[in-house]
Amino acid sequence: MQPSEQQNEDLLREIGDLRRKHAAAMQYVRRKIDQLLTVMGTSPLRPEELDDNTLIELDPIGIISDSFVQVLRHLKETNEQLKVAHDEITAIFDSAGMGILVVDRDLRVLASNRKIREQFTVNTPPREDVTCRELICKKGTDQDCPALKAIASGAGERCEMDLENRHFDVVATPIRGKDGGITQVVLVYMDLTDRIRAQEELRRSEERYRDLFENSTDLIQIVGGDGSIVYVNQAWRDALGYSADEIAGKSIFDIIHPDCKDCGPEFKSVVCGHKGGRFETQFITRAREPIVVEGNVSPIFDGGVFAGTRGIFRDITMRKRAENEVAAEREQLAVTLRSIGDGVITTDIHGRVVLINKVAERLTGWRQEDARGRMIHELFPLKHEKTGLDHLCPVDRVLQTGVACELDGNAVLTARDGKQHLITDSVAPILNRESAVIGSVLVFRDITERKKLEDRLIKSEKIESLGVLAGGIAHDFNNLLNSIIANVDIGLRFANPDSEVQKSLARAQKASMKAKDLTQQLLTFSKGGAPVKKLAAIADLIRDTADFGTRGTTVRCEYDLPADLWNAEVDEGQISQVIQNLVINAVEAMPQGGTIQISARNREIDRMTSPVLAEGRYVAITVHDHGQGIPRENLNRIFEPYFTTKAAGSGLGLATTYSIIKQHGGLIDVESAEGAGTKFYVYLPASLSAVTPAAPSAASVPRKETSGRILVMDDDELVRETAGVLLGMLGYEADFAADGDTALDMYRRAMQSGAPYNAVIMDLTIPGGKGGRTTIGHLLEIDPAARAIVSSGYSTDAVMANYAQYGFVGIVVKPYTIDDLGRELQRVLGGK
Amino acid sequence: METIEIDIRGQLCPATLLVALKEINARGAQLRAGAVKLRFLIDNRDATGTIPESAANMGYGVAVDRQEGWYRVEVFGRQ
Repeated sequence: MQPSEQQNEDLLREIGDLRRKHAAAMQYVRRKIDQLLTVMGTSPLRPEELDDNTLIELDPIGIISDSFVQVLRHLKETNEQLKVAHDEITAIFDSAGMGILVVDRDLRVLASNRKIREQFTVNTPPREDVTCRELICKKGTDQDCPALKAIASGAGERCEMDLENRHFDVVATPIRGKDGGITQVVLVYMDLTDRIRAQEELRRSEERYRDLFENSTDLIQIVGGDGSIVYVNQAWRDALGYSADEIAGKSIFDIIHPDCKDCGPEFKSVVCGHKGGRFETQFITRAREPIVVEGNVSPIFDGGVFAGTRGIFRDITMRKRAENEVAAEREQLAVTLRSIGDGVITTDIHGRVVLINKVAERLTGWRQEDARGRMIHELFPLKHEKTGLDHLCPVDRVLQTGVACELDGNAVLTARDGKQHLITDSVAPILNRESAVIGSVLVFRDITERKKLEDRLIKSEKIESLGVLAGGIAHDFNNLLNSIIANVDIGLRFANPDSEVQKSLARAQKASMKAKDLTQQLLTFSKGGAPVKKLAAIADLIRDTADFGTRGTTVRCEYDLPADLWNAEVDEGQISQVIQNLVINAVEAMPQGGTIQISARNREIDRMTSPVLAEGRYVAITVHDHGQGIPRENLNRIFEPYFTTKAAGSGLGLATTYSIIKQHGGLIDVESAEGAGTKFYVYLPASLSAVTPAAPSAASVPRKETSGRILVMDDDELVRETAGVLLGMLGYEADFAADGDTALDMYRRAMQSGAPYNAVIMDLTIPGGKGGRTTIGHLLEIDPAARAIVSSGYSTDAVMANYAQYGFVGIVVKPYTIDDLGRELQRVLGGK
Repeated sequence: METIEIDIRGQLCPATLLVALKEINARGAQLRAGAVKLRFLIDNRDATGTIPESAANMGYGVAVDRQEGWYRVEVFGRQ
């Protein structure tokens, strides 16, 4: 069925309505979408961008509402976070250590924290309309108000205010609203009162310490970790000569003396803080003068990290100098004491040893370290030299009386090792300033050697006086003997051979010759002059003589005579006699036989080696036997003449030996112990000259007929007479004079008369008159060609030894035989 | 973290924003959990303002990188 027109019209109208409604709905949707898009911040949809169907399909509203769900969730989360943040801020606000106020432009208090309510005793949060001026600063003015200033300047303001008797630091910070204008101000009140008080206290404290440091007489320094000087006090600057300005930039290493060896790495390590300690070191002043300081250095730590050092020193330069002076003086005293040749011991008031010098150490055998503190008696046991009884130590007496004293006589000190020394000593008190005795000083000297020397001197003087006596006797005796021998000689010539007279005379002659030897020995011992010295090879002399001396005995000699042994200027005969005497002694000391060791050495003697011998070169001869030895009591006497222990001894052997050696400028000494043999030491001055072989001695002049006039000068009538007889027998004519003056007178007259003397025989010495010694000079003045023969018993006299030098042409030694006289006259007169 | 790249170059605003929002809505949970990151490639300059603002309002982090004639906008969870 066809729809009616009416129906069509209705339908068309409905369609039209629907279309309009749809369009309106779409329009509504688009409008809402645009609204939502605008909320989302984007531009509205353009109609041509999406047609309605696509729009419905896209579903922007769904999309945006989904997005809104997420936006809302996010907002919710954000709000929660904000609330937490707000709570946190409120807590911070209330718990802050500073008072905080928030005010509006009219200074009305919007918020206040707990602290500010405490500070200004506001019990509860203030009313909303109360201003900060009413609450806080009360009498404040607009000019002083930091909040108003902050509102005016738009920036933070700060000021200090005194409120309620306290001092505050107030900071005002403006807060801007949305329009940028300042709506609020946050005021923060920091109470500085305590801090200021603490600062003030600190300042005062610092002032006190600074005062202490600056007025300290000690040198105080603070040094940084790098050695830079941080602080030094006035005393430090004064001592080192720096002003306060000059200290800046200085390092402690500029101050430590560069040459200070003591400072060394150790001190530097202290300065660098490695460790602390007490030190003595040297600083150098600005004027480059060294000063000695002593003190402590310790490290400073800052938070456990080394930050430098502090040091407190004292200038001890003066003290050090004084100490050095005292030390030097002490050293000088010690050296002086050590160098003193005497032993020195000091004691305290109780007699305990305080000090003992080197010589005392040697003599007592106690070392200083062992001796100190011991009683003096322990170190110094004394006994009387002669009695051997204990000797009172003089130290006690001096300590008691305070008066110095000397040991009366000599005493024997027994050293720690048992060695004994003969000593003299003196003790003096040591007095303090009040003249009270505080100790004693004992000075002593070993006189063992001196005593020995003195003994030797006494011995030598004794021998010499004996010598003079013996010499006097011998001289007279010799003259007597001269006559006896000559007359016996004459008698023998006239006596019948084999007659009793001849036999008697022969016995008398033998005895006389023995007597002659004895007199010769006596004369040698008693000296008569210098030995007839010539250069001799000592080694040969020793060997020849000693071998001769031991011939026919069971003793033999063992020689130790170096090839380079020096020669000596000696009288060979005399030295030979010396060696012979010593060897004979040795042989006699060893009746069972044995060995004599004879050695010789070159020795250079100086004053230190021997106080007896002159300085120079010596040949030292030692004759060592292994016999019974010489008893101690005899040792001192063996060189005395006529001292002998042998039944057949003359007692002249060693006396002569002594005399000969002395004449040679030498020394003889003996060392012996009973049962241990004897050692004789002989020192003879050496000569560096070489020995030339001696010319063969002149052959004796053959006897022949002679004639001539001879003048005999002698004080002894017997001698003159005997000489006259002998000269007559020899064929000479003799005249006689008793002294030199007579002899000269006679000689002069004989010359004038034209019958001069062919020779003059002169006695060397004439007691109380002019002897040959002086007459010869005058004689040669009268007649330079005069022939004079010297005659004497003193074969060792210098004139006899060197007669030619004195002007004599010949020599006859008394007592002489007719042959002696004839031979010499013949030689002198040359057969005239 | 997975990166999902969505190329919406050639589209205009606000369609660009709507596409981006639709993707963000769909991946909201993953984004917040930090499991994915969305990378939008766009050439509509306005969208470089609208996408970051919308994403930020929704609590996401955004980074915009300018490339040659287009932009790379990355959206990721803040956790």
